[in-house]
Amino acid sequence: MPTPYLVIDGLTKVYERGQVHALRGLSFSVEKGEFLVVIGLSGSGKSTLLRCINRLIEPTEGKIWLDGTDVARLSAKRMRRVRRRIGMIFQQFNLVDRATTVRNVLTGRLGYMPGWRSLLGLFSSQDKQTALANLERVGLRDKAYARVDELSGGQRQRVGIARALMQKPEILLADEPVSALDPATSHSIMQYLEQMNRQDGVTVIASLHFLSLARRYGTRIIALKDGQLVFDGPPKTIDNAKFKEIYGEDAEEVEVR
Amino acid sequence: MTGYPEGYTSPRPAWTTGRGLYNALARRADVAAKYFAVFLLDAGGLAALWLLVTYAYAWYVLDITAYILVPWWVFALGVVEGAILWESLGRSWGQKALGRELTPVSAEATPIRRLLYFVLWNLFSLTGIGFVFVPPLHERWSGLGLRRERPSSQAPVPWYRTSAGLFVAVLLVVTLVSALGVTLTWESLRRLFTQAGQTVEFWRALVRPDTTILLDAMRDMIVTVFMAVLATLFAVAVSVPLSFLAARNLMRGPVGRPIYTIIRGAMSVARSIEPIVWAIIFLVWVTALRSPFAGILALWVHSIADLVKLYAERLEAIDQGPIEAITATGAGRLSVLRYAIVPQIVNPYISFTLYRWDINIRMATVVGLVGGGGIGQRLINYIWGVQYRQAGTVMILIVILVWAIDYLSARLRAKLA
Repeated sequence: MPTPYLVIDGLTKVYERGQVHALRGLSFSVEKGEFLVVIGLSGSGKSTLLRCINRLIEPTEGKIWLDGTDVARLSAKRMRRVRRRIGMIFQQFNLVDRATTVRNVLTGRLGYMPGWRSLLGLFSSQDKQTALANLERVGLRDKAYARVDELSGGQRQRVGIARALMQKPEILLADEPVSALDPATSHSIMQYLEQMNRQDGVTVIASLHFLSLARRYGTRIIALKDGQLVFDGPPKTIDNAKFKEIYGEDAEEVEVR
Repeated sequence: MTGYPEGYTSPRPAWTTGRGLYNALARRADVAAKYFAVFLLDAGGLAALWLLVTYAYAWYVLDITAYILVPWWVFALGVVEGAILWESLGRSWGQKALGRELTPVSAEATPIRRLLYFVLWNLFSLTGIGFVFVPPLHERWSGLGLRRERPSSQAPVPWYRTSAGLFVAVLLVVTLVSALGVTLTWESLRRLFTQAGQTVEFWRALVRPDTTILLDAMRDMIVTVFMAVLATLFAVAVSVPLSFLAARNLMRGPVGRPIYTIIRGAMSVARSIEPIVWAIIFLVWVTALRSPFAGILALWVHSIADLVKLYAERLEAIDQGPIEAITATGAGRLSVLRYAIVPQIVNPYISFTLYRWDINIRMATVVGLVGGGGIGQRLINYIWGVQYRQAGTVMILIVILVWAIDYLSARLRAKLA
């Protein structure tokens, strides 16, 4: 039996001095090509989970098997090699505001370049062409030389996507990618993620706030509550009772159209 | 662990590893720092009030200079016990300033509990023993602890009905009263308004500049600008690397934190010594009269201290997002520095440097007054030689220079923002 692409096994994260348990023995697996949506209240551990997968946050305990390697135990140097294959986009976009769009996109290549070349800023002409092509793909070719602080929120997230595309990722982690955006822009961003998932075969793990978006784009949904898994299944199977279990008794579902 | 059945061996206690021990110590230090910060503010405030009240009383009533009027141990005991009592029974100004309040942790805050808290603080916390435990002993046994102030649904009490507000008000008034009494006399006030004529010679000199010294003065002014430029450039070369070691957010852990503390401490000491004092030190050191070099060294040291602080504070305020994002692409540490941190700090750093250069031009003149070379030295020589016309000329030139540099640096900085 082939093992799944990503296996999370007993993942625990305790923030050291505060003694806060963000994740409590979380286990699940993800097949290649899935579009997995993680839902849950703020503080339920969604962000911590995503950041443990590429070790932006060091897990306290547990194993993370990515394509047969335990990411949680890798040395810093090997981890950098693995990170190249893991794209990531963020709620607050995390771009360098003072730099141009194309420069931000090019930083997606840093993991592939020898240290001295990246320090001198010597991106190859091929990288530069790919960067422009990726900007074309997210519809921002004309903004290539504009500073990022001149762009709107939706445009910034598209820059973030182009930056992730530069890595030619196998897997994309999206940490609440549309929480800072309005509903119409949210759909446009989610469609880019869907396109990456379907056309390029990128496995996507996205945390989302709105269940309607999760249902519309996810092929599978997991729900976290207090750092534990409370639901794992296809989008259709989340009914009203399940919803109240995840979000609490008082919650009402809000639609994003 | 091998060879034993599951659950047979107990896991190793956290404090037996280096990291665990550091965390345990750091947690205790955090708690103790939280309590002592409030305590030091209260005790310091009470001590200041006592000193000032006594001083004013002795000055106006007894007509002597005195500070405490009681044996020193009475003073110390009064201040320390007063502070603890204030913290236990009321809302002290230290608690208020640091946004903390005495909150019930495991018991109601009855007067008895508060008194117990007072006694336990004296027994355990003042001696430091209580902080070996987490939570500290006085907190554990009294059921009360200092916690971050929580938003209350009740309207805040006006300041004049809180002990902290009244304390600050009284402190301000007493300071003002004693300061006025010490520095002002009726005689000096009368002179201020009647003796303006004494300076007429000086003002007359100012409007009749001596143009024959213009060339010499210009040369000295160029020296002054050079002093400022060199001091600033050399200071930048040292400050930029140091600022990374002095940024709290970059220097974490058992190695980083002490380095951070030492550099920040050294810098604040160096900064608190005025450039004019540094100039005197370096004049003795490099033993040369009329030496711009000593002036440069003086400005250099002070600029480093100032720039490291400004730079490091900027570094502490950078957006962590890009660091996270660039790290996630698989970039190495240096690349993260180059692509996530440097772009965020280049413009502010240049801006701070220009600002410091601007200050250094003014400081270079002052440093010159004690013999640090440049235009300042020329000015003081004229004043000592009672050559008011020449001194006036130099002052006009200095005003023009300072104004021009000020304007230039402000324009450049506006451009960088």
